[in-house]
Amino acid sequence: MWEGIAQGLGTALDPANLLWVAAGCCAGTLIGMLPGLGPITAIALMIPVSYTLDPAAGLIMMAGVYYGAVFGGSTSSILINAPGVASTVATSFDGYPMARAGEAGRALAIAAYASFAGGTIGALALLLFAGALASWATAFQSPEYTLILVLALSSIAAFAERGRVARSCVAALLGLMLGTVGTDQSAGVQRFTFGRLDLMDGISFILLAMAVFALAEAFHMLTTRERGGDYRPAASVRLRKGDARAITPTVGRNSALGFLVGILPGAGATLASFFAYDFEKRFNRNPACGIAAPEAANNAACTGSFVPLLTLGIPGSGTTAVLLGVMLSLGIQPGPRLLETDPAVFWGVIVSMYIGNLVLLALNLPLIPYISRLIQISRPVLIPFVAAFSLVGVYLTTSNVFDLYLMLGFGVAALILRSWGFPLAPLLLGFILSGMLEENLRRTFYLVDGSFSMLLHRPATLVLAIACAAIWMAPAIRWWRNRPRGEPRS
Amino acid sequence: MKLPGSRRGTASICLALCACLFPIAAAAERLHIVIPAAAGGGLDGTARAAGRALTAMELAGTVSFENIAGAGGGRGLSVFVENTARFREALIVNSTPLILRRLQNLYPLSFRDLTPIVGLVADYGIFVVRNEEPADSWLSVVTRLRENPRAVIMGGGSARGSLDHIVAALALDAAGVDARRVRYLPYDGGGKAMLALLGDEIELLSTGLGETLPFIRAGQVRVLAITAPERVKAIEDVPTLTELGCPVRFANWRGLFASPAVDEDVRVSHIQRFRTLTASDTWSGTLEQYGWEPLNLFGEDFTRYLEQQESLLRETMAKLGFTR
Repeated sequence: MWEGIAQGLGTALDPANLLWVAAGCCAGTLIGMLPGLGPITAIALMIPVSYTLDPAAGLIMMAGVYYGAVFGGSTSSILINAPGVASTVATSFDGYPMARAGEAGRALAIAAYASFAGGTIGALALLLFAGALASWATAFQSPEYTLILVLALSSIAAFAERGRVARSCVAALLGLMLGTVGTDQSAGVQRFTFGRLDLMDGISFILLAMAVFALAEAFHMLTTRERGGDYRPAASVRLRKGDARAITPTVGRNSALGFLVGILPGAGATLASFFAYDFEKRFNRNPACGIAAPEAANNAACTGSFVPLLTLGIPGSGTTAVLLGVMLSLGIQPGPRLLETDPAVFWGVIVSMYIGNLVLLALNLPLIPYISRLIQISRPVLIPFVAAFSLVGVYLTTSNVFDLYLMLGFGVAALILRSWGFPLAPLLLGFILSGMLEENLRRTFYLVDGSFSMLLHRPATLVLAIACAAIWMAPAIRWWRNRPRGEPRS
Repeated sequence: MKLPGSRRGTASICLALCACLFPIAAAAERLHIVIPAAAGGGLDGTARAAGRALTAMELAGTVSFENIAGAGGGRGLSVFVENTARFREALIVNSTPLILRRLQNLYPLSFRDLTPIVGLVADYGIFVVRNEEPADSWLSVVTRLRENPRAVIMGGGSARGSLDHIVAALALDAAGVDARRVRYLPYDGGGKAMLALLGDEIELLSTGLGETLPFIRAGQVRVLAITAPERVKAIEDVPTLTELGCPVRFANWRGLFASPAVDEDVRVSHIQRFRTLTASDTWSGTLEQYGWEPLNLFGEDFTRYLEQQESLLRETMAKLGFTR
């Protein structure tokens, strides 16, 4: 293995490859920063470039594009509440309010440091444990996935403001329902498509995220006239004293969590970022940690998703599926034999991830003062900017005009829901988890074939079931412990 | 007045040259391929590999690609057929689901709305088990299923009633199993289905040879049977279904089609171009790299092949209750 790492170091430090990792990271992070554009778009745009390179350089560059886009993705989440990819939704929960309070620079800096740490810790874990962790990816099957998804859904309580738990649950249910539009994954039946080809694939995530976050925010700015709604000027562009110390443990534990969840094929990075936010918010109200946790987790998860991709040849997400296609066309056959057939590529890519993360940090930090100034743009300029960018972003990914009308409709609906006090994050969470939850639940029912004793023979399932129960029981237990005991003595 | 005259002369010569060169340039230099799927999938890979081989052999100057994803390929198809002016000389790549989805009434269009050019590659259906189960053979699985159709849990990378399920049903039906009662678990893509097989959630996987080859070569999985008419080179020790007494032959083809409004000479030149390509060493190298088997059916031969496959699928689906 050490021999392999040395070989990988040789590949990664080759001047041409250094150039390509830097180029990939630059392209990825810049595309990722734009609202509505995420890793998939970034990779799709760079595919033609990769064909001109030799296999190692091509894969190193494309990997750079991928984690570069995840790195940059937090920018639009924090600045204009327009997450370009599901895994940065959680970053906007604490990041956007912080940016509106005049601390855009600080929020971006925290996100950049946390992303860097998450990416680097992930790359280190990948280097040391890639081979050993391949079996972790197959340990989780439909029953476990079902419960993990239920666990993720249970965490909506963490996003709910005080006294709004019922509204959060309703919003999550709406999200789950929107997720059923399109072709049913199990039986191939059309649901709620009204015979339209445009709805056959369901509603795209990017469309809904842009509509309920960015567009609804823009509409909200239009409908509220009070001056207080304006952004305060970005006062600080640096970390505050104590931020570094506060986020260090957060970043550490959430990188580990993110990496482990990221290995699981499925929505690794998204689930990881939601779990991280939920987990962190349970005992830590510091908004700096609320940004650091999902950012560390999603970058670590992105690195973790290379475990099943490289060692099993199985893509865990849409983005890694595109990467797999790129690898095949470069003549790299990922899978258990990659280590024997192409050790230089295998280790070279992993080692290049450290270099890539350094490049990303060096690239992102100096840009922060300039980018955070975007938020000072006056409202009459900013609103059309946000609306136009989110519409263009959606059109770029689907190139379908119908989607634009759909998006405007959802934007208006979201504004109405918002004015009635429904939080929109649970809606998006429900939507993201809906398809996967249904698919795994149906398979589980089919597998157990009417008898639930099978679930008890799977230890992981049992543990997850207990964790879900604990989350739902927690408020009742808290109430029981704080109940008024007897007559107050006086 | 000499100068302007000579200028005019030069200009007219240039114009004449351009006029002569332009149609040739348009026909031989640029080729546009529409891919009715997102970047990175199987169709995308086939189109781009073919495009690169064409450029490498200088059968086309530049090949451009356009991914129109959506509606399981339906959107790309309808855009291609409706914009005849724009796509008059372009090609669209497609595969077996073109026929399948028409039969299921998911598409309004069929291959009859296109001009078949070439059936390029075939991906045969295979039935796979984990390698740790050395006792399993196709016949032992079939015997167990004949006694109890619910004895084996089978999986595939697509919904019930789509390709992987139908191929399995076709084979099991021919082997005398009540295919309608066999348990089939659908997964979101072949990769996740393979993961379920490796993780022991399913016992038998119905999938395509191309995407499974790396797992076979790595010794993680073993193939019980293949739907090819004869044994294929990549896995020579695997018997065909025909050898095993189930006369079922089925290939998931991938091929290219021209616009319904294509001119006859353009159609002929497209076919000629792919005849040259498929006979070349460059293309054999590509096939080997991706683990594809050549199909090599051109023009009318390809149309006849599609018609046969359509009637086979129609019968099977009606018999097994997959048509809606």
